[in-house]
Amino acid sequence: MNDLHGIVFAYRESPDLRELAQVRNSCSIPYGGRYRLVDFALSNLVNAGVTDVGIIVHSSYQSLLDHVGSGKDWDLSRKRGGLRILPPFSYANKHHKGNLYRGRMDALAGVYSYLKNIRQDYVLLTSGDLAANLPIAEAFEQHLKTRADITAITVPTTIADPRMTNYFTTDKDGRITDVAVGPTVPNGEVSLETYIMSKSLLLGLVDRCAAHDVPSFSQGVLLNSVGGRIRLQAFRFDGYAARLQTVTGYFMRSMELLDPAVRASLFRTDRPIKTKDQSNPSTYYGPEAQSTNSLISDGCIIEGTVVNSILARGVRVEKGARVENCILMQRSTVQSDAVLRYVIADKNVRVCQGRMLMGHGTYPLVIAKNEVV
Amino acid sequence: MLLAGGQGSRLKALTSKVAKPAVPFGGKYRIIDFPLSNCVNSGIDTVGVLTQYKPLELNAYIGSGQPWDLDAMDGGVHILPPYVREDEKGTWYKGTANAIFQNISFIEQYDPEYVLILSGDHIYKMDYSQMLDRHKEMNAACTISVLEVSMEEASRFGIMNVDKNDNIYEFEEKPKHPKSNLASMGIYIFTWSKLREYLMADEADEKSSNDFGKNIIPSMLEAGEIMTAYRFSGYWKDVGTIDSLWDANMDMLSPASAGFDVYDTEWPIYARTAVRPPHFTGAEAILTHSIVTSGCEVYGTVEDSVLFHSVTVEEGARVRYSILMPGAVVKKGAVVEYAIVAERAVIGEYAHVGGDKSKDPEWGIAVVAQDLKVGKGALVPPGAMITRNVKGVRA
Repeated sequence: MNDLHGIVFAYRESPDLRELAQVRNSCSIPYGGRYRLVDFALSNLVNAGVTDVGIIVHSSYQSLLDHVGSGKDWDLSRKRGGLRILPPFSYANKHHKGNLYRGRMDALAGVYSYLKNIRQDYVLLTSGDLAANLPIAEAFEQHLKTRADITAITVPTTIADPRMTNYFTTDKDGRITDVAVGPTVPNGEVSLETYIMSKSLLLGLVDRCAAHDVPSFSQGVLLNSVGGRIRLQAFRFDGYAARLQTVTGYFMRSMELLDPAVRASLFRTDRPIKTKDQSNPSTYYGPEAQSTNSLISDGCIIEGTVVNSILARGVRVEKGARVENCILMQRSTVQSDAVLRYVIADKNVRVCQGRMLMGHGTYPLVIAKNEVV
Repeated sequence: MLLAGGQGSRLKALTSKVAKPAVPFGGKYRIIDFPLSNCVNSGIDTVGVLTQYKPLELNAYIGSGQPWDLDAMDGGVHILPPYVREDEKGTWYKGTANAIFQNISFIEQYDPEYVLILSGDHIYKMDYSQMLDRHKEMNAACTISVLEVSMEEASRFGIMNVDKNDNIYEFEEKPKHPKSNLASMGIYIFTWSKLREYLMADEADEKSSNDFGKNIIPSMLEAGEIMTAYRFSGYWKDVGTIDSLWDANMDMLSPASAGFDVYDTEWPIYARTAVRPPHFTGAEAILTHSIVTSGCEVYGTVEDSVLFHSVTVEEGARVRYSILMPGAVVKKGAVVEYAIVAERAVIGEYAHVGGDKSKDPEWGIAVVAQDLKVGKGALVPPGAMITRNVKGVRA
């Protein structure tokens, strides 16, 4: 499908993700053992045949750059088009004082010259921190068939804090008749913040919002369109979707991956989620190892016990160590006889011999990158 | 120059569809990953891979060479099949030396001083640059990498007899009464101008079998060229038979005692890998002394085994001392022991493949070839070589 262009928003700061988002953008947070959140947006686009993708970034995007590189792991390293990282190169808004973008329309204005040069007629806007395996090709087909101005991909049940979510009321044809921006209680179809529209409409909307200084997509586009001339249509997705905005949410959503039905929805073989290749060997289990109800990436060395946990690549669990209900990121080490429960250990964390660390399901303990306990 | 055209007929069913160097090994790899990674880690940036037998899968696997960083603008990895030259009838590679002879023009594009000849059927880690250092230091025409083997084993190998400076004065192919225990590893460095000369002479000799071990090395010795041995110590395994392939895979489970550690980040072994989610271990899973790769789903018991990617072991199934290649499925209640189950083969419910080690002369590793089905409740005896679907047994 060569008539759709992908724009991925990856500029937002996520203070509620605490230590996890201190060293990186929320889109490059490790998820599901071997993935980063942005892998979903990129793979979804590529699986729909999209060849040109821009990622809008603003600050702390070094880890994201390191992960996506030239885009070759998603077949996005190309002579024409392919992957472009878009820092705020043309942002000259008088309201901007070196701070972050105030909203998605602000961010789009920041890369206006890039948008003008898009060679496709249609654009898909999506967020880099959404974990879902979306059928974008089907959504685009529906967009063309219904002749909608904007198609929004939705799910029926709420997946995050309602105050950080947009809800749609739809009629029997799936046309959106009302929008609720961040209500206190769930109210209708949940927006996955993934929209398809024509390039010309997008440029017009960016112009109009800039002229009226409306930085937010929800305010400037969604609320403004209700009852107006812009026709909003919902595309209902019935698979698994997760947005990760807080540490507890991150922990709970991650643990849902231990359910085979969730994995089947996210990691479909007909729409594979691709990620950076690292050439790790297989995972090694020692003679006394135990591993139950866990997701374990390649390159781990497990000689202790792992229960209800998610291990990223190259994690070591030494003899006598016990890891329960934990998320251990790349190359973290749990030395012999240490016990961890409800712990999220970031990359390269080392928990020394015999230490005991315990959080709780509603407040997991987070150990920041490179720390030694 | 990596000789990857061998049929590997002793691997029987495992090489019915692929060349030996493309046979999966050690959970994540194929045999060819070891010499290719050794090249890259030794600083070699131009590699020719000579293919002939069932090359499709091997060609696709090597592709642009990107997983090994060999997708260079200048040099990189090149697949070299036999081809038809002008004014000549095309021929298959007649022997190892003829394969190199047919690619003289490829080698000359790069105008090298030295050429390294490798084979694609051994598992080892070796720094070829150290071997080259010795070659230069001795000002040799040819350096042959050798391994000390026990005197009993020596008669199975090509044996190098050397003087006190480790210069070779005699080469004996599988001698009945070996004079030394230095076995050739099939790894040669030649000064290119010398090798070129001998390749031309060898090609002109109609009686020659165009083989390095049988023809080139003996004639260089006879002519009095400086031939030197490079002593290698460390893990090195020929995986040319079902038993040795199984053994070498089992060595991966004991990195310390086998002396072979693929987790060492100083000398990484690269591979083209399938992107699959992490492997999952079910609530009742038991996994000990094994290696498991991404995409696997393990609900049963796995002991002392090697699981490649996307293998499924269902509830109540038991896998021991076995190698399950990518996509293999072991259904509920089945038992697989001392066996190699090739790609995508399915072992039906309550089937039994292989058997515990015994003194029975018939005993051996059971092999189920790729894409086959072993039916429900079927029995595959130890040492069996399954090349057709096995019917289930009605209860």
